[in-house]
Amino acid sequence: MEDDLTKPIALMNDFIKVDHFNFFYGEKQAIHEISMDIPERQITALIGPSGCGKSTLLRNLNRMNDLINGVHHSGDIRIAGTSLYDPKVEVISLRKRVGMVFQKYNPFAKSIYENVIFSLRVAGRSRRKELDETVERALQSAALWDEVKDRLHESAFGLSGGQQQRLCIARAIANQPEILLMDEPCAALDPLATLKIEELILTLKKQFTIVIVTHNMMQATRCSDRTAFLYMGRLIEYGETMQIFERPKETQTEAYISGRFS
Amino acid sequence: MLDKQTTPDPNRFNVSRATLWLDRAMGWIIRAGGIAVILAVFGIFYFIGKEVVPLFHDAKINNVASFSNGIESRVLGVDEWGEMPFFYDGGKSLIFINVADGKREVLDVSGLTDLTVRSFAYDPVHRRIALGLEDGRVGAMVINYERKFAPDGSSSIAPSAELEPWQELSHGSGPVVAVSHGDSGDGRVIVAQRQAADGSSQVSILKLAMKRGLIGKGKLSLVAEVDVTSQLSAPSSLLRASSNASMVLIATTDGKVHYFLADGDGVSKRQVFQPHGELALRQLDFLFGGVSLVATSENGDQAQWSLFRPENQGERLFGETKKLPALEKGEIFFAASQRNRTFLTGSNKKLAIIHSTSGVARWAGTLDIAPTTAVIDAKGEHFFVADAAGAVRKFAIHDPHPEAGWRAFFGKVWYEGGSKPVYQWQSTGGTDDFEPKLSLIPLIYGSLKGTAYALLFSVPVALLAAIFSAAFLPLEIKRVVKPVMEIMSSLPSVVLGFLAGLWLAPIWEMRVPSVLMITIMLPISALAMGYIGCRLPPAVRNRFENGREWLVVLPVMALFAWLGWHLGPLLERWLFIYRDPTTQQAIADFRLWWPQFTGTPFEQRNSLVLGFMMGFAVIPVIFTIAEDALSNVPKSLTAAAAALGANRWQVVRTVMLPVASSGIFSALMIGFGRAVGETMIMVMATGNTPVMDWNIFNGMRTLSANIAVELPEAPVGSTHYRTLFLGAVVLFAMTFFMNTLAEILRQRLRERNKIV
Repeated sequence: MEDDLTKPIALMNDFIKVDHFNFFYGEKQAIHEISMDIPERQITALIGPSGCGKSTLLRNLNRMNDLINGVHHSGDIRIAGTSLYDPKVEVISLRKRVGMVFQKYNPFAKSIYENVIFSLRVAGRSRRKELDETVERALQSAALWDEVKDRLHESAFGLSGGQQQRLCIARAIANQPEILLMDEPCAALDPLATLKIEELILTLKKQFTIVIVTHNMMQATRCSDRTAFLYMGRLIEYGETMQIFERPKETQTEAYISGRFS
Repeated sequence: MLDKQTTPDPNRFNVSRATLWLDRAMGWIIRAGGIAVILAVFGIFYFIGKEVVPLFHDAKINNVASFSNGIESRVLGVDEWGEMPFFYDGGKSLIFINVADGKREVLDVSGLTDLTVRSFAYDPVHRRIALGLEDGRVGAMVINYERKFAPDGSSSIAPSAELEPWQELSHGSGPVVAVSHGDSGDGRVIVAQRQAADGSSQVSILKLAMKRGLIGKGKLSLVAEVDVTSQLSAPSSLLRASSNASMVLIATTDGKVHYFLADGDGVSKRQVFQPHGELALRQLDFLFGGVSLVATSENGDQAQWSLFRPENQGERLFGETKKLPALEKGEIFFAASQRNRTFLTGSNKKLAIIHSTSGVARWAGTLDIAPTTAVIDAKGEHFFVADAAGAVRKFAIHDPHPEAGWRAFFGKVWYEGGSKPVYQWQSTGGTDDFEPKLSLIPLIYGSLKGTAYALLFSVPVALLAAIFSAAFLPLEIKRVVKPVMEIMSSLPSVVLGFLAGLWLAPIWEMRVPSVLMITIMLPISALAMGYIGCRLPPAVRNRFENGREWLVVLPVMALFAWLGWHLGPLLERWLFIYRDPTTQQAIADFRLWWPQFTGTPFEQRNSLVLGFMMGFAVIPVIFTIAEDALSNVPKSLTAAAAALGANRWQVVRTVMLPVASSGIFSALMIGFGRAVGETMIMVMATGNTPVMDWNIFNGMRTLSANIAVELPEAPVGSTHYRTLFLGAVVLFAMTFFMNTLAEILRQRLRERNKIV
């Protein structure tokens, strides 16, 4: 990667720093006083029962929650030392820095090619050579290139579900963000496609800091380096994935991972 | 495990009787309702079709009686019921034949006993035979029919003939060899030709005035007697006084027609024209209304000539308006209807009934006799033809809509009084002899114009508003805006029309420059605000929550609207200066300047006012549907675009608009349908003049407004009434065509942007 040459070798352990973060949907508080450091170029999994606030937390990392009415927050989230809520920050450049993959694959009603370069198009970049290179690189990274290289200009809807989700990943990484957020990326896929995505996530780790929300314990153990367990909007436990799953410190964590409540 | 449970109810799989019954009953009710709706729709089609189809029927002709009168009749006339025709051969008696029983009645005219009739001509309008005598006097006899009712209910007709006083001709000598007579009620015009022993002939025009006494009939007295022989280019061959006594036409052997006007100042020659070149005329007769005439040459060429004011000329003169199908060479017969502009003409055994407005033959066929004379009864229900041997045929005409037809509705027609063929709608007039002008083209044009101006204003506003509401406005404001817009669509259009016509139009009439200024300044101010907005540093910009920009933009736009309104008069004083052509005085007034500058009129109730007010009717419709379509774009797509760094406008442009395009298209089509069918606003705000131009400061008459305005006045079953229904069919066809086209396009759009 080009970035590697200019950056110091040392990766930041607090690349994303969540600092006493509270988040409200109107009156309802969804996140209570969460503080956590997410290390650079590692995979951090957020687990917890439905409604625990893990998706909310994830969506705050690129301020997608701003699109919802009546939300407010306190505390701070910093990426590489810069607050997301600094008045000088342009939400649009933030989102270019923090890519996102959604639960249900959602390609646009465009060709595969146009889907991949969407982020470049909206940034006003249209040099044919750059676009072509981006498409190839992103699809290679998303392990989709070999399957679609002959039909780049056909509709994205012609792909299988797993392929569509990988296309969405390619789309998210096309503009080379620093962080990749994944909100249950395999929830709508069959086991085989899930396996492929998981393999892909592991390879993407080399380039991106990945935060993944998952309901699948096995997925968290297979993919992630660190795991955070959230419950009722609170961070219950956060640590090395092995440690969380094998020697949880909190009883609630143990209860959850052993399937005694959901 | 299970065997410990109680045995389940054996009937648990049965469906209850009530459920079944209700299911069946509802099924039938729904079916019946659906079929009833379909039947009702077809019923409407059937009814409209029943009203419209007769317009396109040809005339029907039936031979109802054949008999012989036993003389060579040169004059054939009939009573208004078509029951008792009479025949005259220039002798001393008239022959009446009762068609029903074949009874022949010979009426000796007592005043004619000692006289020799040399010439005669029949005027069916006044049922008068003009007579010219051997001794050089002219006169006339009027045939009257009196209907007598017997106590048993049966009726009989008693004919009589009354001689009018003879007039001496002071010019020329010899017998009167041709004569024609016109009667205006207040006076008479007689044109007569005398032939002297040496073969020379002399034509005189007599003008008589009716001096009315207090009691009884007035007395005719000579006003003027003009010898016009010297004004003719050749010996005369045909004389025609118009039956309203205003004109005299004299055809000469060189094929020329000399037109004399008999007005208050006397008799003067106005025009000489040559309908068929050098060929002499065989027939020259006025049509109903006395403005058009049909002239036939000896070769059978037939043409219609009408009085109109040629461009750049002050006086109404005759000009050829239609070439009619040529007749066979031979004895030509002609009869004009006294009801409408149909006439009957032919030669040899051929006969055609032609409507003069459209020039289309209503009926054409071959008879078993070769008529020399023909007459149509006053009601236009029957006609008689008679040949030289005295064989007579009576025909019934069934042609309720002679003025209808494809050419009349959709073609350019040269109407009487017009200087060229035009598309014109003028269905009713002040007099009975008015010529209806039934072209639907100006109305179709008006509908399209009204719709175009309405959509020109509403589509951009409605679509931008829908995008703003769907993609930019915060939810809590959207929750207020949307129902308000929906309520707006329920504003009664009569209220909107009233406001447009009586409140807005008079204000805007004075302030057109202000309206122009506002239309220019509003978008410019919005663009300027946008430019300033993106130049602000993010630290300042981020203080405004997304979707609250309107709080800043709205007051600024209001300010600019206010400024525009007040700058309008300045603009007027600067640009729109009208210069009075006579006094050279300069007046700053847009209303005067526009017609002078563009040559097109400025009306108070114009397309500008209409387009604006129609917005209140059309915008809510387009807005509501387009907003729904945009709001229904899956959040997953908009979120994906936003997560990829697209700004709000890019999300709209790249994701929302393509996905919602089919819905937006439907919105536009429903808006179009609303605009095309809108009636009350069109009636009240457009001035309702069926003009054909795209001038924004002029009005129009739409098909829908036309139906609303005229249907209450149209007699049921009349051509006018049925034509209004035809207008409805055209309106329906227009919207049907547009909707079908739109639906095809919409399906294509949806196919292209569908989300799996």
